[in-house]
Amino acid sequence: MNRIPLLYPLGLLLLLGAAPADVLARIKLTTLPVRERVEIQLDHPQIALVEEERIVPLVKGVNQVDFSWANTRIDPDTLVLRILAPTDAQALDAKVLSVSYPPNETALVWSVAASASGAARMRISYVLGGLSKEFHYRAVADRDEKTLNLAQYLRVGNAANEAYDDARFWAGVGERFEKPLGLNETKEVLLDRFAAVPVRKTYTCDPVQFGYLDRAQDKLNVPMHYVVKNAGGPLGREPLPEGKARIFQDDGQGGSAFLGEDHGAFTPPDDEWELYLGLARDISVRRTVDRNERQRIAGNLYRHEVTLKYEIENFKDTPVTLDIAESVRQIRNDLRGDNGRDPEWQLGDGTLRQPDPEKSDADQLLFHVDLPARAADGQAKKQIHTLRLTLNNEW
Amino acid sequence: MTPHPTLRALLCLCGLLLPLTLPARNVDLATVPERRTVQLTIYNSEDLTLVRETRVVTFKQGINPLQFSWANTLIDPTSVDLRFREPRTGLEVLDTTFPHDKPQTLYWNVHSDADREATIEISYFTSGISWAADYLAIADPDERHLRLESFVRVRNQSGEDYENAQVRLVVGTINLVEKIAELAQVPVGRLNELKREEYRDLRQRAARKAMAPPAAPAMELSTGAMAADMAEMAPKEIVKEGLSEYFIYTIEGTETVPNGWAKRLRSFKADAVPMTVEYRYRPREYGDPLTRLYLLKNDTASKLGGTPLPDGLIRVFRANGHEGLSYLTTQNLKYVPIGDKIELNLGVDPAVVFELVKQKVYRDNFWLRIKGGNLYRKLGEDGLKLELDSQVAGWDEHTVYRQRIRNYSRKPIAVQIRRDYPGDVVFRSRLNPTLHDFQTVQFEAKIQAGEKAELDYEIILRQGYNQKQNRVELQTGEPGR
Repeated sequence: MNRIPLLYPLGLLLLLGAAPADVLARIKLTTLPVRERVEIQLDHPQIALVEEERIVPLVKGVNQVDFSWANTRIDPDTLVLRILAPTDAQALDAKVLSVSYPPNETALVWSVAASASGAARMRISYVLGGLSKEFHYRAVADRDEKTLNLAQYLRVGNAANEAYDDARFWAGVGERFEKPLGLNETKEVLLDRFAAVPVRKTYTCDPVQFGYLDRAQDKLNVPMHYVVKNAGGPLGREPLPEGKARIFQDDGQGGSAFLGEDHGAFTPPDDEWELYLGLARDISVRRTVDRNERQRIAGNLYRHEVTLKYEIENFKDTPVTLDIAESVRQIRNDLRGDNGRDPEWQLGDGTLRQPDPEKSDADQLLFHVDLPARAADGQAKKQIHTLRLTLNNEW
Repeated sequence: MTPHPTLRALLCLCGLLLPLTLPARNVDLATVPERRTVQLTIYNSEDLTLVRETRVVTFKQGINPLQFSWANTLIDPTSVDLRFREPRTGLEVLDTTFPHDKPQTLYWNVHSDADREATIEISYFTSGISWAADYLAIADPDERHLRLESFVRVRNQSGEDYENAQVRLVVGTINLVEKIAELAQVPVGRLNELKREEYRDLRQRAARKAMAPPAAPAMELSTGAMAADMAEMAPKEIVKEGLSEYFIYTIEGTETVPNGWAKRLRSFKADAVPMTVEYRYRPREYGDPLTRLYLLKNDTASKLGGTPLPDGLIRVFRANGHEGLSYLTTQNLKYVPIGDKIELNLGVDPAVVFELVKQKVYRDNFWLRIKGGNLYRKLGEDGLKLELDSQVAGWDEHTVYRQRIRNYSRKPIAVQIRRDYPGDVVFRSRLNPTLHDFQTVQFEAKIQAGEKAELDYEIILRQGYNQKQNRVELQTGEPGR
């Protein structure tokens, strides 16, 4: 009977001796089958799966293969040993008979039966704690902010207390790549590059989500975003994983200016990837409630007529589109109190009559308003928009 | 066979014999007959293992004292039993003594009517040996079949090394209530009046009674078992047989499980078990996200079904088509009877986007309660207009929903949705829904790879005075007004 301890992280230990299988021999002769190939699968959101392939010499009969993992966080319940099908014709037939777990050791012993002496290719897979991954992005907008060069990076941190000389990585998106990963090393790789993707710069006011710049003066915040649709061209084939994005703009002189950074959310194909750029101070939106009247339908049942007025000024030299977002439920709650019911409403004949159907629903309304650039004399023309709502059947 | 100096449960045939007296001396001479066979029946749900061992002992004519000791093990001394297997007559246990000065020891005085060699069987219960099942499932890259392997892991913390033992595992928890009631001599309904310790004690005793009768078939006395095992090159078969309400797995050949060790053996392997993938939205079972499942069946058509699957951890991988595996999940598999289905919950699939949009809300069919009395009138009827002193007492709340599902995976997907609607509800749609129960609507959709589905429906919730029932009514019709 032959014993082959497989020692981790040093490698695979092959132990040849005549000790009975059930008693750990004190005197051992070992060989160390090296890793032929390592794959690190990072496609699971939380878990890193390591697969290593080793060529293990076996002698005819039952062999003991020891696998131990001092100071690493291998989850022993996930260890899988697969003996790969031999490639050459006269190769030996090997089978796993049993696994034994010695007391007080981070180790196990596989009993492997071999039909002949020779080498078997084995693949050992396990979930390893301490390997982390994160995505991040570098977005460089062109001068007129119409397109963006987007680079996607993967950062793999190795706190697993084990070095991998050459491992093939798969992060669930992008291409597979091969890199060494040393002890306590952090490796960053360029996973993908999306050139000249169309970008929309949006200016949005939304009292619920973004609040007021000056509540007393009814002035709304107007944050700016770059919005990239994960569709078309090089995009849209895979989701964009969540991760921090650093945003730059081409300064027209061969360099780039840093605009800020934001956390990009997980974005499936056809959804919009939004990056916050800060507040626009050159667009002023004042929102007031112009009318709030109620009519009795019967008993305690009422109909409310509500008009919201927006006074908008664009002090920029360029025309822009302003997105005005409202929550009808919030309007109802502000004006007549929260009764716990969904509002039943109809749009009236204000200037805002056509909500964006893609982004509006029973509660949310989104309108796009075109704002001209300020006039040649420097004066911004004030635009007035109204949103008329009938809130039906309230009590 | 080599002697086993590690044996802690010792049987000694005392060399100095005094008829019907105890060899209670400090100077002692003993021979140690070794174990010939040992069989473990591990009954997991009660931390109880029945050990039956055979030894060959030479008796002289007359009275022979036998000493049995079990220092530092978890053997229950009251359960130790001695029987004669070969020959069955001519030998007799005269008495059993537990000496006061030697803990974990007992003496038997055995009377033999002739000088002879005899095979004796000693059985006892011990705790500290347990077993657990676990499973490994690896799906094909196209997720039509999976390979399922089942393992049993025997763990020995009993303080005693069991070498070359035949191992039998009892699968399933049998109902012991009636046996406990019988032991306690009370009706089943009054068992809860028993004290907790008393109940536990009775439970253990009931478990023993349940275990003891299926006596092992007479064990073969093959001393060459170990040598035969060494030549065995195939993974061991685990023989499964049904017994009363539970299953017994018998591991082929013998196993050695030293104290402190655990050993894992393959119970069965099934290649290419057919499976399907289904996406389910069932918040009561799986929480809020749309959940991806592998579904298979423990039946012969699926190359399984030979045995129930005992409770155990199952690890699920998928071959990724690049010679590697993708880790999918680890979960607890609950006991699966033969013929039952197996569901493996893989969690959320980022390639499938599942969104519910509330599109519209409106209310109608108002009933008003007039002047706080017992008179109710419908709004708009009989010229009821501006009745001032009246309150809304009942109405129908209509909510129009759109369930959007986008499939970015490379395969068509089947989605099943269940939603609970408590109250008096009408579910109006063209989705051909069915009722899972009186308040749960179920409908299905198939979405091709790269396609999107929009499933529209309207919920009409009859509120207040209008609520006459508590159930969902299915209606075919266009959602929304």
